[in-house]
Amino acid sequence: MRYRRRGLDIVSHGLLILALIAFCLPVWLAITAATHDQASLYTGTAPLWFGEQGLDNFRAVLTEPVSRLGTDASRLLFNSTVMALGIACGKIVIAILAAYAIVFFRFPLRRLCFWLIFITLMLPVEVRIMPTYKVAADLGLLNSYVGLILPLIASATATFLFRQFYLTVPPELLEAARVDGAGPWRFLKDILLPLSTTNIAALFVIMFLYGWNQYLWPLLITTEADHMTIVVSLKRLLSSADNLVPWQTVMATALLAMLPPVAVIVLMQRYFVKGLVDAEK
Amino acid sequence: MATLRLDALSKTYPNGFTALHGVDLEIADGELIVVVGPSGCGKSTLLRMLAGLESISDGELAIDGRRVNDLEPAERDIAMVFQNYALYPHMSVADNMGYALKNRGVPKAERRRKVEETARLIGLEDLLDRRPKQLSGGQRQRVAMGRAIVREPKVFLFDEPLSNLDAKLRVQMRIEIRRLQKRLGVTSVYVTHDQVEAMTLADRLVVMNGGRIEQVGTPMHLYERPATRFVAGFIGSPAMNFLDARRSGDVLTLPCGTQLASPWPGEAGETRDTPVCLGIRPEHLAIVPEGQNGGGTLAVRVELVEPLGADTLVHARLDGQDDLVVARIDGIQPVAEGDSLILRPDTDRLHIFDPDSGQRLDDLEPACHTPTSPA
Repeated sequence: MRYRRRGLDIVSHGLLILALIAFCLPVWLAITAATHDQASLYTGTAPLWFGEQGLDNFRAVLTEPVSRLGTDASRLLFNSTVMALGIACGKIVIAILAAYAIVFFRFPLRRLCFWLIFITLMLPVEVRIMPTYKVAADLGLLNSYVGLILPLIASATATFLFRQFYLTVPPELLEAARVDGAGPWRFLKDILLPLSTTNIAALFVIMFLYGWNQYLWPLLITTEADHMTIVVSLKRLLSSADNLVPWQTVMATALLAMLPPVAVIVLMQRYFVKGLVDAEK
Repeated sequence: MATLRLDALSKTYPNGFTALHGVDLEIADGELIVVVGPSGCGKSTLLRMLAGLESISDGELAIDGRRVNDLEPAERDIAMVFQNYALYPHMSVADNMGYALKNRGVPKAERRRKVEETARLIGLEDLLDRRPKQLSGGQRQRVAMGRAIVREPKVFLFDEPLSNLDAKLRVQMRIEIRRLQKRLGVTSVYVTHDQVEAMTLADRLVVMNGGRIEQVGTPMHLYERPATRFVAGFIGSPAMNFLDARRSGDVLTLPCGTQLASPWPGEAGETRDTPVCLGIRPEHLAIVPEGQNGGGTLAVRVELVEPLGADTLVHARLDGQDDLVVARIDGIQPVAEGDSLILRPDTDRLHIFDPDSGQRLDDLEPACHTPTSPA
């Protein structure tokens, strides 16, 4: 710290602690609420400590079909994982190949291709939702994993990021590889991919979260519980016209929905750091 | 081990810029050819065309008599050492060196054996597991060399490989490259803009200017008999002094009135007074002791003295003229700025050029020297 003043330290730490409470309190409430039974949640005050249910609510949510959803949370988690992984991996593979073509190959209308990809940034799912839905429906992709993944799989952002990275690769490296007898695929596999592991890890995290947090598209494309994602199910659990909202179930499901993204961040963070440390050596 | 034949090799870029205007050259087996010239003379383009990294617009390139114009770099069986080494940053030294072998499908054990053998040859045994980042500039240079050697190519191509090293290391690596090239006997083409490197390394030197070959020959031949004013000015350090003069028969007259014996008397019976460009190397100017001034000397005033230790460079202006000359004299001469000196050119080692075309005017080919390009 540049300024070492006691008053400043106290104020800044106070602010940090306040922010921490603001962020953690809802999570804490969710954790405690998930351990109560429905009756104790409707006493009028939010419980700040664990109830007697323990992990029973989680067990129930994961193994028994949840009312109003028609399936259990394991299935929802699996669907979400397939979708998020499909989107993240698909985006990365497509972006790597697209950027590779744009940067390292000379073909007619190369620049135009790049700009066409780039302007799709202005066309997120929400903007093109009607035609995309129509196409997906005509192709029979409703209630399928392909339907969940495919319309979201192309990424101008990732293509752009990889393009920028490839542009920083010294051209001599490509020439050396050509002299060494590496064809285009070998160059990609042996030289470019190992050099871009850090970028891939970073993009994977971002794209996994993007895929995991999708709401609108999965809501449209899935009508059956079999292919519903966990994020969509949360809203459905809350929409109760006549019954009491089963808060303990909602909280348990919400916590389950949080875990995979957190796990991905925590796991991949180690690769970031490794990549950064290696680069500075 | 191979011969190279360049036949009217030309390069024209899509934007119409012509980088090479028909280069002809025959390179013998095991020869080390150094291509030298100022920036933008086309020497790097030429090398990249030999490597196959740049397409050939016109003409023919043959390695061992086989036309290779349209072959990929890897199919030409060449190895290239790049200016910035171009090592693969994520691979160990051993993997860097063995990458070409791996791409050729050489089995792992044999690859390992060849890499280790080469590493021993160039003193890299202890570094095989390191990454390029963990190496010094000189070591990286060695790895780049090793990567070229391990493949046992027909031709080595060097693209200014020493220009990123410090002066001392450069001298050391220069000697090492020369030693290795002789030992391995691999035909090599070496591009540089450093004329000391060029002189010391080359079996034959190729001086290029403006996309054309100015002259080809042994370093000493180019030094003693530069074919053009450009070559005369480029080879030798410090550069040759050029003075305007007039020649009448076998007498050269300088504007200051000094008369010198011309190395070339002109066509038989020709007596007309013609303008020429006289070239005198700094090392062929000697100080005349006071009181011994005969004819054929230059009176100068010293403007700058650069002591180099063994030699001293004296920058001086001809009396009554604007022309600056540089003389390279013995290091222990007591010369100071502002001194007046008499310099005597060695009349046996004068060069005269046509002032318009820059071509050498006296005979080009003394008996003892190799011919230039076969064109």
